[in-house]
Amino acid sequence: MKRLLLLLAILSSSAASMELMAQSGQVVVSGTVVDNQDRLGLPGVTVSVGSPERALMATDANGQFTVRVESGATLHFHLIGFISRSVKLRPGQTSIEVVLNADDNQLEEVVVRGYVSRSKEETTGSSFTINADEIRDNPVASVESLLQGKVPGLNIQVNTGAPGFRGSTQVRGLSTLAVSGTGSESFLQPTSPLYVIDGVPMDADKASEFGFQQQGPGISPLSMIPQEDIESIEVLKDAQATSLYGSRAAYGVIIITTKRGNSKIPRVRYTSNFFMKTPPKLRETLGGNAERRLKINQILQNTLTREDIERISRTPFLADSLNAYYNNSTDWQDIFYQTTYNQTHNLAIDGGDPKFNYKANLGYYGETGIIKNTGFERYNLSMNMEFKPTEKLRFFGSMYGSIGKQKKGDGVGLLQKGVAENGQSSTLLPGPSFFQASSGVISALRTMNDNSARNLRANLDARYMLIEGLNVSSNISYDFTANLEDTFTPAAANQQFAKVYAFAGREFTLYNRNSVTYSKDFNEDHNIFVNVFNEFYKQGTQNRVTRQERSPEDQIQGPWGYDAYFSRGGGVLSNFRDARLASFAGAVSYNFRKKYVVDLSYRMDGSSGSGSENPYSRNPAVGVRWNFHRENLFENSEWLSNGALRLTWGKNIVPSRSLDALYGRYNLVGNYNNNPGILIDFDKLPNPYLKPTTTEQYNFGFDAGFFNNRFEVIFDAYYKEVQNLEMEKFLANSTGFNKFYSNDGGIANYGYELYLSARPLSPNSPVNWTISVNGAVNKDVLISLPPEFNGQAIHWDDSWAKQHTLFRVGSNTLSNYLRTNQGVYATDEDVPVDPATGLRYRTNGRFFEGGDPILKDVNQDYILDSRDYEMSGNSQPRVTGGIATMLNYKGFGLNVYASFTLKRTILNNALADRFRLMGDPFGNKAVVPLDGLDMWRQPGDIAKYPYAYDYSRYEQIDPFRLDQTLWAEEGSYLKINQVTLSYMFTKKVVHRIGLSNLRIYFSTDNLVTFSPYSGPNPENVTSMGRDASGGYPVPRTYTLGLNLEL
Amino acid sequence: MKMTKSKFGIGKAALFLLPLLAGLSGCREMFDLPEEKDYLGKNLNYSDMVLEPILGRTTVMGGFNADGSTMPLTFEIVNARYGDGRPVTDLFQVRPTWVWTAAYDGLETSLEEINAKRKLEDRPLFEIRPSGEFVLWGSSSNELIEPRAADSSRLTQEIRYFDVKISNTGGDTIIRDFQIIPWRERPYEPSNDMNYYTGEVARDPNDPRNPFKRDYILPFMQGDIIGAQSNRRFVNNEQTKDLVAYIRPFEGGNGNKLRFRFIGPDSANINPALFNETKWDRLVHGFNMEMTEDYVQYDVAYPIPLVNIQTHYTQGNSAHVEFIYSRGAFGGGRSSGAFGLNFRIFKEGDWEIVFHFRNELPKFEDE
Repeated sequence: MKRLLLLLAILSSSAASMELMAQSGQVVVSGTVVDNQDRLGLPGVTVSVGSPERALMATDANGQFTVRVESGATLHFHLIGFISRSVKLRPGQTSIEVVLNADDNQLEEVVVRGYVSRSKEETTGSSFTINADEIRDNPVASVESLLQGKVPGLNIQVNTGAPGFRGSTQVRGLSTLAVSGTGSESFLQPTSPLYVIDGVPMDADKASEFGFQQQGPGISPLSMIPQEDIESIEVLKDAQATSLYGSRAAYGVIIITTKRGNSKIPRVRYTSNFFMKTPPKLRETLGGNAERRLKINQILQNTLTREDIERISRTPFLADSLNAYYNNSTDWQDIFYQTTYNQTHNLAIDGGDPKFNYKANLGYYGETGIIKNTGFERYNLSMNMEFKPTEKLRFFGSMYGSIGKQKKGDGVGLLQKGVAENGQSSTLLPGPSFFQASSGVISALRTMNDNSARNLRANLDARYMLIEGLNVSSNISYDFTANLEDTFTPAAANQQFAKVYAFAGREFTLYNRNSVTYSKDFNEDHNIFVNVFNEFYKQGTQNRVTRQERSPEDQIQGPWGYDAYFSRGGGVLSNFRDARLASFAGAVSYNFRKKYVVDLSYRMDGSSGSGSENPYSRNPAVGVRWNFHRENLFENSEWLSNGALRLTWGKNIVPSRSLDALYGRYNLVGNYNNNPGILIDFDKLPNPYLKPTTTEQYNFGFDAGFFNNRFEVIFDAYYKEVQNLEMEKFLANSTGFNKFYSNDGGIANYGYELYLSARPLSPNSPVNWTISVNGAVNKDVLISLPPEFNGQAIHWDDSWAKQHTLFRVGSNTLSNYLRTNQGVYATDEDVPVDPATGLRYRTNGRFFEGGDPILKDVNQDYILDSRDYEMSGNSQPRVTGGIATMLNYKGFGLNVYASFTLKRTILNNALADRFRLMGDPFGNKAVVPLDGLDMWRQPGDIAKYPYAYDYSRYEQIDPFRLDQTLWAEEGSYLKINQVTLSYMFTKKVVHRIGLSNLRIYFSTDNLVTFSPYSGPNPENVTSMGRDASGGYPVPRTYTLGLNLEL
Repeated sequence: MKMTKSKFGIGKAALFLLPLLAGLSGCREMFDLPEEKDYLGKNLNYSDMVLEPILGRTTVMGGFNADGSTMPLTFEIVNARYGDGRPVTDLFQVRPTWVWTAAYDGLETSLEEINAKRKLEDRPLFEIRPSGEFVLWGSSSNELIEPRAADSSRLTQEIRYFDVKISNTGGDTIIRDFQIIPWRERPYEPSNDMNYYTGEVARDPNDPRNPFKRDYILPFMQGDIIGAQSNRRFVNNEQTKDLVAYIRPFEGGNGNKLRFRFIGPDSANINPALFNETKWDRLVHGFNMEMTEDYVQYDVAYPIPLVNIQTHYTQGNSAHVEFIYSRGAFGGGRSSGAFGLNFRIFKEGDWEIVFHFRNELPKFEDE
């Protein structure tokens, strides 16, 4: 092969060679071109000589070349994606190793706009690209989590450790007012960006329609993509960049491009990871006798009645310490949490040339959850091939199949309430054994939960060039997913009757896109590019559930038959969908010598989900760009490599999603006169005049690279306004309806994004060091509510937690509405007295005392009641960003990625739950050590936390109530996401063992988090900033992995 | 040459950065975002728009519904007028009244200790406090505020009206046409022996047209209280009232005395010592007990009870006194009887509570 290439190179430049040969002092120079990151040989590097340059040859698959040049000539090396380099040969030098630095200059990148690749320099929108190198060495189920802290303005919170689930993702702040659920389970409707995988759009929020009350497997579609198969990820942020993706792009677009075949010689690449996941530090618990003594002391010291003292002797588990049944010190958390060992394997085969290339990727990912009886496994096989029979015709086809298998135990994945509940059991109780175990333990450990998502996706793309510059293309894809879940709860876990739950769901998307593009240069000065396309979707979802509350016995898991009482639930779930979408889009781009760029685009979406009053969503966008480095002023500038200013505007108008908000819902309401009655649902009054939700965004951007792009700056400032958000309004009961939807809600987000990167060391240094910092400040402001709300709306949390959410115009969108905690009363005398009645400040008929929390009497009536709530905090982070450093020296590499989130309020409900464990010393819950906490202990103490041991006060005063700002803590954190230490074996060693490349690495994930937050992990909280103790903790991962190439 | 060129370039670049810096400052103004302001509910209201307090008692009224408005709200009584438009001023006369500064708990051991927990403060007789509740202070009286008409008429021109202005930074609103129709003073409870409209002695409810019969405060009786002559067990019911009580001021005290007296059918005093099992030292939260053959009296702080909390001296929201005596019964045992009263006294002064055995003296002798 090598020889063949050499021959080709010689032939192709034969004329030049002959000429050179004639001259004196010719030498044969051979050498290798390697990249600076991994020191891998770079194939396809053009080697040229002279001025003007004459290409001599290209390097072979191992990056080697041999040329015949004049002694002492200057060789030039060029490769797309790398900074060109020139090397002057010393007289007589015949061998050389050339290091090419990867070109991180974002300007020369290729970006995708409206499914068409463009040079970044000629586009006006704001986007950011991540390469495969930045998302490797750390095995994860969902590749999204690896983007955390790497893209300015992309706020990713890895807020669950549940295998196969994903955290929350937001581009540029908040876009919704829809809060559902209560207390720790408050749920903010996810507004994830639209994912486009190899040109096929995909909805990442599919699995989360029901919030925490999840149905079915709930495997995130993103967890089905193996990270090894990804070539690059591009995040589109402003309205100009996303405009061509239509209504679903209102929350941003993330474009994932998978790897293509790119090697003349077939390559086999294998990646394997062995990784260990360890649970984080769990709650400290007092064990055995310490628990018993604490409970008894607590009763003796705080009882108000003699009965309680006598009750100790009637409570055997406190009194009968010699009884073997009660004489234990069981670590319940240890029963549920575990350290796990897992592995992944990925095999990729690719080959081909620009005329015909192919790739196949076979992957396996297995992760056992750190909560027992949970886990995720994925098998996938993907193939693609590209075929260009002539210069004019191109086919691209891909097939993608994957199976995700998941176990959720008896939880719903994101929440593991059963485990959280049982993990709090008293240590005095005996642990599970052959003879006995509590139903909670059996439920958590023996519930057979088996669910899977099977995804099959096929995509075919054809393009034909009619005349020079005019291309016609068509793309068709079909995506099918079958979701299944079977849960069998054994009899011992469900009051002696086994229980069965089964879920079967199907969804499909048929997608077609046809486009015409035209590009033309006029006199080298004016360039025009036109892209017109249409898209059609046909989508369907149907999910069914069957639930049998009691089945005959553990051995019989089906068939179940039917029982009028015990067959419950079932039928088709409300997320049934049968939708059509047709879109038409066009874009015109013009540039003058690549200096001045203007982009215009327009898109219309017609959706079967929109009402007849507003059937189309419309997306106009305009953008301009000035590449000022191309001005004459900077022509020969040594310090400025590139520079541009961008300004864009775009609007995204999306009709209201739900048809029943527009037309109402009609239900069967029994028979009348033997005719079935169909009546409107009187809960919601339909409103066919709902205005479409409008997102309008301005973006100002500044890009610059200095000193050959050794220093780079990307700055964006944006203003995004979301108008006409849905709000529920309650109606007077005389209307006959309960509520109706208006859409007068509006949010504005504005912020700044900054990305700085530097390679401080000289390009010739053997050490290659890149450091980059990025950050985004986003401020969201609620700008409007329906006029009759007068600027305020409250989402009441009607659970016992009472953690309400307040929307107030002019302030940050999601505020907590809580009681303000001002400390702890040091003594009884500190409690204020009503001057008129002489009564002390009280609640629920009980006076506050020393040791009780000072809860602000907001309305000053000396009674704490439902009127004493105040606005506080902001559940959404203000600042997000990350830091990355990559260090290479010879074969060694050290990469560190960190991410940070600043200025966010977290409600530490987990800490509240810990204190609340002390509320019932007679109960069978564990107790926790409170020694390290700043708690009131005796009159006169100035403390932060109220007195926890006086159990009689939990009923009325409820000192550890959740609805107080005592739990509101600053949730800023800096997390070291990933540290990777790698070693690339030298060619010599590798060749000896018959490989072409070998790299091993050790990496950790979620290594350490620095935070003022008192809870275990400020990131492991819900999107509403509540730290639920029932959540799934995020594990720490240690990985040993290898990449090898044959 | 190259150097200068480069410098020039940097200077130019600074120019490009200028709009950037401008963008960084003052976004809020640039985008014309709404200012955050307090929320003032659209549905502010009071559950009680007609206030009917009793003069002479500190009363907190209102039932304000803030509708989620941002606190603190400022409340102001405006436009106080009679139904015919005459201005009302008597409600807002400033008089000293007792105001609590610390919590009374019923364990104080002297009057001074009690009074250290409250102070006299100049307050308008009627005011609205920061919670939006109305307070009619105990300093109000029939003399300062004309109570409702003795003939029970309610003429619009004699009713006091007022409006309440409520504001915060989000705006202000006025809730109109509150009425305050005070009852005349009832300085003590139970007050069924008093006509609420006129303040005179109330007539017997069984015979309301008879000006010679009156209503009585009826104490409770327990156990064995029998007549000295008849051996009949005393009862209090609609027909027969063996034991009645009067709560009335007496002359000659120092202004904060509370005296208990017991009289027979002939109005002669009964020696309180005869009620031999009474816990005199814990009868009322009073000090300097003085027991004579005619009465027993204490130095007390008014009102009684001072605060509506549970203490040794209260039952429910009233002070509770109980007089117990026992005597030898047939067969050598003892038979005991008790009577007493749950009462409240609102007006400061020297008060006596007289227990009147109307028909017959009780029997104190052993059988």
